[in-house]
Amino acid sequence: MATTTTEPRVWWDTLHKNGRFDLKFFLRTKLEKESNMPSLLDRYNDAADEMRRLIKEADDNDEGFRSIGSKWSMSSIAHHPDRMHFTSNMNIGFGIPGNGVHANSTYKSENLFFFQCGNEIKEISHFLESKGKSLKASGASNGQTIAGCISTGVHGSGLDIGSVQDYVVGLNLIIGPNPEDVVYLERHTKPALNEKLPQRIKARIIRNDDLFNAALVGLGSFGFIHGVLIEAEDRFLLKRYVRKIKKQKAIQISNTMDFQPLANEITEEVDAQGNANRPYHYKVFINQYSNDDDYVIESIYKKPFDPNYKQIHGDPIPFMKQFIYRDLIYLLIKISEKFQKAIPLFIQALSGTILPKEKDENGQEKNIVGQLSEIFWDAGYQGKAFACSFGVDHKNSGKALEVLTKLTKDDGPIPGIFAMRFVKQSDATLAFTKFPVTCMIEIDGIQWNHKEDGIISLHEYGKRMIEVLKANNLPFTIHWGKNAAWDFPGLAQDMFGGDVQKWMDIRSALLSPRMAKLFSNPFLDTLGLSQLSSPVDPGLIVSL
Amino acid sequence: MKTKSLFAIVMVLLMLSSCYSVRVKVTNGPGGEPAETETEEVTAGELIRTLDTVAKVGIATKENPINLPDCESGGLHAVEYRTTFGGILKYLITFGRKRTVKVKYVCNKKTNTGVIDLD
Repeated sequence: MATTTTEPRVWWDTLHKNGRFDLKFFLRTKLEKESNMPSLLDRYNDAADEMRRLIKEADDNDEGFRSIGSKWSMSSIAHHPDRMHFTSNMNIGFGIPGNGVHANSTYKSENLFFFQCGNEIKEISHFLESKGKSLKASGASNGQTIAGCISTGVHGSGLDIGSVQDYVVGLNLIIGPNPEDVVYLERHTKPALNEKLPQRIKARIIRNDDLFNAALVGLGSFGFIHGVLIEAEDRFLLKRYVRKIKKQKAIQISNTMDFQPLANEITEEVDAQGNANRPYHYKVFINQYSNDDDYVIESIYKKPFDPNYKQIHGDPIPFMKQFIYRDLIYLLIKISEKFQKAIPLFIQALSGTILPKEKDENGQEKNIVGQLSEIFWDAGYQGKAFACSFGVDHKNSGKALEVLTKLTKDDGPIPGIFAMRFVKQSDATLAFTKFPVTCMIEIDGIQWNHKEDGIISLHEYGKRMIEVLKANNLPFTIHWGKNAAWDFPGLAQDMFGGDVQKWMDIRSALLSPRMAKLFSNPFLDTLGLSQLSSPVDPGLIVSL
Repeated sequence: MKTKSLFAIVMVLLMLSSCYSVRVKVTNGPGGEPAETETEEVTAGELIRTLDTVAKVGIATKENPINLPDCESGGLHAVEYRTTFGGILKYLITFGRKRTVKVKYVCNKKTNTGVIDLD
């Protein structure tokens, strides 16, 4: 049987030390050994029984329960003061056989894969690559669990792909302690599975677009996500270029998503008619303290898979380790290595630092070619960090960047640097990638002590960021897993308008009042998202 | 007397301190065995295991390696080998018969992937 250890704890913290947070119990579940229970589905069902037992135990003690993955979120979204549950060892995964696919499915069975909650992006990629497949997109790195990714909306810069949740096509939730509380959700307009797998995992099928879209970015509060069905695709290569271009040009591209200005910068990515290729990924790095005329951009293009790519282009992983324009905090730490650690001196030094060109060991610009898992590779712990990330319509990206960087200099200075990434719109009800193309403007940096360093607090900074976006009439969202002034009055409604009530209505219909309380947490309370709707409309969760 | 004490302190410090460490990591595996810890090392999030022993020649040789029985996955994700001045000194004094072994390692994450039959 799957086993869970329960450890009394006093506190818990995020990977990047954004807490500490009070905690009573920390739970870890391990699957039954394969040698004792060879069938994957038997082990999966055994784990489901264990999860129902844990939910009942928490409920019997009138306590809350929240599962976590790799604890990469910097907000308190993963925290519950009663019981927190570590899922990373719950990592069953398999492909869907042809006879498991719905008759009306538009998905090919060969592209459908089912993963238990604790599978990390890295191991999913490892498994998919062994089948000649790939994830469609990931974040800037690969350590998050799949359930953690979709619960918080983890994104990369997939202009035409979207975030991690956007290739999830089915959800297996456990919404209570009873056998009938195991449900399988998918869209009724895009069914993926017939009844065979849901029957084998003893799940009630509910096909309902609105329910699925609400649960997809569920902020950890739509029940326990036991498994997800994803649509993968044939493996492909990514070719990555890093260039310094004029600021004006980088912003023009950001505002318009017209990549023609890159034709002169990346001449390899131009077609026979002289048109610039559309990148798979576009990212702009910004040191707001520097007067450099240029920004650094990272532009990545999708290419057909070639089994000889390492022989032709070299192994991409040494290059990704060596090169500095990876995730933003990695870049900042690399820059800061040569500076004193004192925050004011560090910021002073940043103002005199232009973002360097990225070069290989021979001093040449190196264009890297690799699979998705190699380009967006490991990112180890870089120290106590903060990150604030706002989503705006890409058409407003230049203006939003202007007001946020001005604030950062005037009200700070804050020890961090900015980047912008661009993501396709999500169907998930509370996805922060809600604009047709969302520009995620993020500042990552090192934590400071506002009293000792004489800088406004991170909370105050987060509040001021919201205020300046509102003052400039720039509609925005905030990344659920990043730092922000989450207690800003009316924040959820400001970001999502009527979708907030829709999300709460559906959650109220799916969960019993006791389970809604059990799966809530102080983060949801702060945002006013844990409220229950009354009366509940059972029609919201019928299978269509 | 003072000089002797100072020399002794310096020697002890040298013997305790590490000379260097090297970390080796597999790039194309499933990743390291996960752990929920509050560490602030670069390996945060991975379960670090430690082998700290003195190998005697004749017991641990190429034919009789030091066994690592505790990786459920059967594979290693990363190994950090550390040398210390004291370890080198012991090696020299014993003419190579005693070798200090300080190794930190991370096992591969145990995978649970495969195929299912829905018939």
